Amino acid sequence: MGIAATIRAPAEGLFFQGKKSVEPILKTENLWKLYRAGKVDVPALRGVNFEVQPGESVAVMGPSGCGKSSLLYVIGGLAQASRGKVLVDGNDLTSLSDAARTKLRRHKIGFVFQRFNLLPTLTAKGNIAIAQFIHGDGFDPHRFEVVTQMLGLAGRLHHKPSELSGGEQQRVAIARAIINEPKILLADEPTGNLDSKNSEVVLQMLRQLNKDLGQTIVMITHNPEATTYFDRVVHMRDGIIVDGVPAD
Amino acid sequence: MMGELIVRNLLHRPLRTLIGVMAVAVEVALVVLIVGLTSGLLTETAKRIEGIGADIMLQPPAASIFLGFSGSPMPIKIGGKLAELKYVQAVAPALLQFNSTGGVDVVYGIDRDSFRTVSGGFVFLEGHDMEGPDDLLVDDWAAKAKHIKVGDTYNLLNHDWHVAAIIEHGKGARLFVPLATLQDLVGARDKASIFLIKCTRPEHTEDVMDQIRHDLPGYTVRPLKDFLSLMTSTNIPGLQTFINAMIALAISIGLLVIFLTMYTTVIERTRDIGVLKSLGADQSFIVRALLTESAALCVFGILAGVGLSYAVRAAFLAGFPTLSILITPGWILRAAGIALAGAIFGASYPAWMASRKDAVEALSYD
Repeated sequence: MGIAATIRAPAEGLFFQGKKSVEPILKTENLWKLYRAGKVDVPALRGVNFEVQPGESVAVMGPSGCGKSSLLYVIGGLAQASRGKVLVDGNDLTSLSDAARTKLRRHKIGFVFQRFNLLPTLTAKGNIAIAQFIHGDGFDPHRFEVVTQMLGLAGRLHHKPSELSGGEQQRVAIARAIINEPKILLADEPTGNLDSKNSEVVLQMLRQLNKDLGQTIVMITHNPEATTYFDRVVHMRDGIIVDGVPAD
Repeated sequence: MMGELIVRNLLHRPLRTLIGVMAVAVEVALVVLIVGLTSGLLTETAKRIEGIGADIMLQPPAASIFLGFSGSPMPIKIGGKLAELKYVQAVAPALLQFNSTGGVDVVYGIDRDSFRTVSGGFVFLEGHDMEGPDDLLVDDWAAKAKHIKVGDTYNLLNHDWHVAAIIEHGKGARLFVPLATLQDLVGARDKASIFLIKCTRPEHTEDVMDQIRHDLPGYTVRPLKDFLSLMTSTNIPGLQTFINAMIALAISIGLLVIFLTMYTTVIERTRDIGVLKSLGADQSFIVRALLTESAALCVFGILAGVGLSYAVRAAFLAGFPTLSILITPGWILRAAGIALAGAIFGASYPAWMASRKDAVEALSYD
């Protein structure tokens, strides 16, 4: 039996003036994730209850191995939950097939990773455009221009990842993640491979996305300073959420 | 976008791409050249035999269409009987001798006058017709290949011949000697390997053949106009099997190299596959991307293979002018189809493997 912990709802009017919604965009109910190690099932998530409102930005903190990344992969539909429910924009991921989860991910989720994970053979432009291509609506030049301008990438679009700095690569990754206007942006330690200056730039951009465009963001981080850019901080330990407090 | 992804992926590892392209090129060239060489030799031989100008060829019972390999020769007096048949205008005996010294040749021992009557005579490019017992006529292709000139002494079948003329190619053999001399030389006095028969009119060919079948039961009678259709690989025992084996070998080379190329590609791009999945790419997208990449690589290989085929043919013909390699659009298309099917098949397992990769594991792959 897992230990479930429900995060404390943010105080009304404190964080989400004008954004309050009756339905959370993301909700987990008694979420379990077990990994098989030899003949033993190792729990990574042990009954997580978690909600994110539309337009909210949430930072998830916790020590290594506490299940942060597993939570991100399960709510992003990259990994299947072992038990419980994951509701993304009203769709229960646990009841969906792999193909259906892929489709939902394509249309509703954007990922940003610690190691940038850009395709090395494509230019910055290609890395962003391929997300539009996979999305299926084709290349939207207007949206592309708005996003790349906002992230300060206009002059770097024809460079390959190997020709870009870490900060630039991460901005390309963010552009790729938001180019299709996902419902939720999931960021897995996006500043983990960046120096403090570039970390600040990336965090400011994420906050700008949240504040200006109302982009819902869930970010995993080790860095307590990074959480100050977010509406709410959730702490995890041993596969459960131990609290959920508004950020300072 | 898919096109850009594929082109950039192919350019990302140029050496690996080059090896894949070359493997397909070798596959295509092998198929085109093996088929081209066999069909070229058969067609060229058949055309030369048709080019003699006779209407009918008579051979001993169970004789091969490969004339040089025919068994025991026939008595020359058969020629007299043939000449008496209705609608027969002329009969020319010829003794054929296989020679493998200084190249592979079939030497025709001919009676100058009767051969001229049946064939309409040679076109002399240099020199004159046979006059002495040791005179040798050489066609222009053989003269070029063997560097023979009029007036030279040329050793053939352990006998020194006087090169009397260079003649235009296309009259059965490349080397002609007097019938009597060749009969003495090979111990076949008053024998002939074939009889070439000219009918009074071409439409009498069937009538004459029927008479021959009646008078000489068991002998092989062939109309020369059908020789081209007879000279196919399926009519030569074992040849089609050899061609099929060579094609299978060529396909195996292409398939294995494509498999290895795409397999290493998939392993190298494990993380990229995870990224594509995180972006929402489904299994069919991953499979399509890899199969298209394999097909693109194959198309470059096909183009290189066609070029390689023509280059090898040019090199062969420069070294061996008597060779005939027939490169046909039909077989280029077939070889391309075989290579493309092999490339898709060879890439199928790696593509399937990639599409089944766990996204989370793929993203954490180093």
